[in-house]
Amino acid sequence: MFLEIKDIVKSFHNEHVVKTLNFQLEAHQTLSILGKSGCGKTTMLKTIAGLVSPDSGSIILNGERINDKKPSERNIVYLYQEDLLFPHLNIFENIAFGLRLKKLSNTDITERVSQMIKSLELEGQAKKMPNQLSGGQRQRVSFGRAIITEPSLLLLDEPFGSLDAGTRQRMQVLFKKLTKEYQITSLFVTHDLKEAVLMGDKIGYMHKGQLKVYEGKKEFINDPNTGVQHEIAFWDGLKVNSD
Amino acid sequence: MKRYWKPFFLSFLVLLVLFPFTYMVLLSLMSGWQFPDFLPSYFGFKNWATIMTSEGGLLQSFVISVIISLSVAIVTTISGFFISRVVYYHPKSKVLNVLAYFPYILAPVVFAACLSFFFIKLGLFGNVTGVVVAQFLIAFPYALIFFSSFWNQKMKSYADLTATLGGSRLQTYTKVLLPMAKSMLLVCFFQTFLISWFEYGLTSIIGIGKVQTLTIKVFLFIKEANYYYGALSCCLLIFPPVVLLYFNKRYVFKKMV
Amino acid sequence: MKNRIPHIGLVLFVLIGILPFALAFIYALLYSFGVVGVVNTGFTFKFWLAVLQSGEFFKSLIYSALIAFVSMAASVGGALWITIQFRQNLEKKFLSFIAYLPLAIPGVVTGFFIFQLLSKSGFFARISYAFGWIREATDFPDLVNDTFALGINLAFITMVLPFFVLLFLNVFKNERLDELSILAQSLGANPRQVVQRIQLPILLKKARILIVLYFIFLLGSYEVPLILGQESPQMLSVLIIREIKQYDLDKISEGYVAAVLYTIIVSATVLFLFLPKRKNALI
Repeated sequence: MFLEIKDIVKSFHNEHVVKTLNFQLEAHQTLSILGKSGCGKTTMLKTIAGLVSPDSGSIILNGERINDKKPSERNIVYLYQEDLLFPHLNIFENIAFGLRLKKLSNTDITERVSQMIKSLELEGQAKKMPNQLSGGQRQRVSFGRAIITEPSLLLLDEPFGSLDAGTRQRMQVLFKKLTKEYQITSLFVTHDLKEAVLMGDKIGYMHKGQLKVYEGKKEFINDPNTGVQHEIAFWDGLKVNSD
Repeated sequence: MKRYWKPFFLSFLVLLVLFPFTYMVLLSLMSGWQFPDFLPSYFGFKNWATIMTSEGGLLQSFVISVIISLSVAIVTTISGFFISRVVYYHPKSKVLNVLAYFPYILAPVVFAACLSFFFIKLGLFGNVTGVVVAQFLIAFPYALIFFSSFWNQKMKSYADLTATLGGSRLQTYTKVLLPMAKSMLLVCFFQTFLISWFEYGLTSIIGIGKVQTLTIKVFLFIKEANYYYGALSCCLLIFPPVVLLYFNKRYVFKKMV
Repeated sequence: MKNRIPHIGLVLFVLIGILPFALAFIYALLYSFGVVGVVNTGFTFKFWLAVLQSGEFFKSLIYSALIAFVSMAASVGGALWITIQFRQNLEKKFLSFIAYLPLAIPGVVTGFFIFQLLSKSGFFARISYAFGWIREATDFPDLVNDTFALGINLAFITMVLPFFVLLFLNVFKNERLDELSILAQSLGANPRQVVQRIQLPILLKKARILIVLYFIFLLGSYEVPLILGQESPQMLSVLIIREIKQYDLDKISEGYVAAVLYTIIVSATVLFLFLPKRKNALI
């Protein structure tokens, strides 16, 4: 297994935010995690990224226990719901940021960033500053900036939460394309049922600090807790009424 | 009808603001202005010429003031920036914030009087180093509180993001935090420079008249009833900030409220 | 490892931000009780009794507080009025620079300037003479070093009012008061109500802490009353420094009593003002 999470526990002020977390993920796959706000998903992601240290348990990435590694050495990128583009850097430099940290050569950076800008469908925007872009464009830059560093694992915390429905849909498609192209392994947290089903190779459901990962989409759909059945009943009800 | 008074009043306000500057310049050009004469017996650059000669020691005072204020502003801005990060990300930041306000309660001059014992013991009495240290102590709380608004949740997110993208602690500062704080650093530098540049009471006590900054000079001239030289030192005191303000004004208030 | 740097930062905060003030206070406290000091022989209440009995300190405190209050009220009131009346004009390039100019004038210069204008041989005295209103310098009224602290108040107002104009202009922009005012109007508020119910409360609320800080700043201000003040009562800082710097060594301890009293009274007032509202944050 590429990523193994074993018995992770984290509490703040005597309150368990994450309770004995256990799951596994294979390389180049996306696990989408459905959960309402306050269910502990952000804490879970931050723990894996190393921004929060767990009370107990272990995080194993590619066979290596990484609990004691600093966030900067884990090669795990954590993306916030906000795009957090650096306001003092233009689009090109925002995307190049991680490569500059690694002190790659200029030619190398130019080539890779230009390629990424093309993949992100942002041609011609390289010299613009973040405040000149739309919400969707900014979110794409934020993705590109993360993916270009070739992270072992990408953690996404409601990345499309602040986008309108149309943009959101286009971003979902683009994200699918990019993860395939760059062979990304990722955890995708969302509170949107449809998005969870769409984005994940596997699906999990998080509730009050506990995560349940389903064998397949079928199990997920059949579990009454996830709300899928409720949703189906709603649409069916509409159908019956309008017939 | 009702609006007609406004332009007049505004012009009046402008004149009011410009008045002290004009008056100080004119007074610095005079000598022998006896009451009740309306015009002085001499008007010209005689006083200003003395800046260059050693008489009055104004050039010296100007240089000392610049050195002291630059040192205070640099040290305060840098230390304030880094230390406020620790203070405002601390779990007990609310308590620490209240503590940070406390130094404002004591008037600087009284503070200096109460501290002079320790300054004597440390050999910081009556020398430039002592004045810099003392002014630093009163400018520091200002810088600390000034940067409190910078260290918010979003900035923490930026720093975390940089870390997960592979940035070291140093890189997080040099590539993200410092560039993003640039305008605030400038304002803080400017404000703490002014705190030091304008300071009189504390300087007079810790410097015991041996460290003659420009404000000290103004007072000495007033005591000697040498108002022309007094006005001249006032000019040296107010025009550098005017120049700085001209370049800096859009930064001065940013993020203060 | 991870916690070491925050630790150093916290230690520095205490070392620079708290310790010196604590030391100053403790030293003043010990001196006031005769525990330390050149001629002092040991713990005694005599300096405290002397200060409390003479009443000079409290006279000075009330005098300072009154001056600070009058100056602040005039400055904040004037600044509010100017901001609300001339907001649009003050945003123009030339005027906005003019508005910042007063910040370039320190208290020493303000004191000196006001003295030059208002003293018996000053600018206005000369004008009055030229117009034949007075015949000698002594005919000119006492406007500086006077009982009513006219000079001090005028100096304070010229220092504080411009600052608050700039502050209020900024609050206007940052809090989007123009938009809020339009909103209020669309809800049926007349111009007067917009000022009274929207603009004034928001401006004052945002400036609350700075108003208190400036009040304290004026209360303890030194150079302006040193130039423009009278012999008695004096403003607090002038009184305290005069006593501490005296050749009469007994008076030094009394100066420290005053310093301690002053610190305690101001701290208590500040805590009283800010602590009850702590629920809704400090700023």
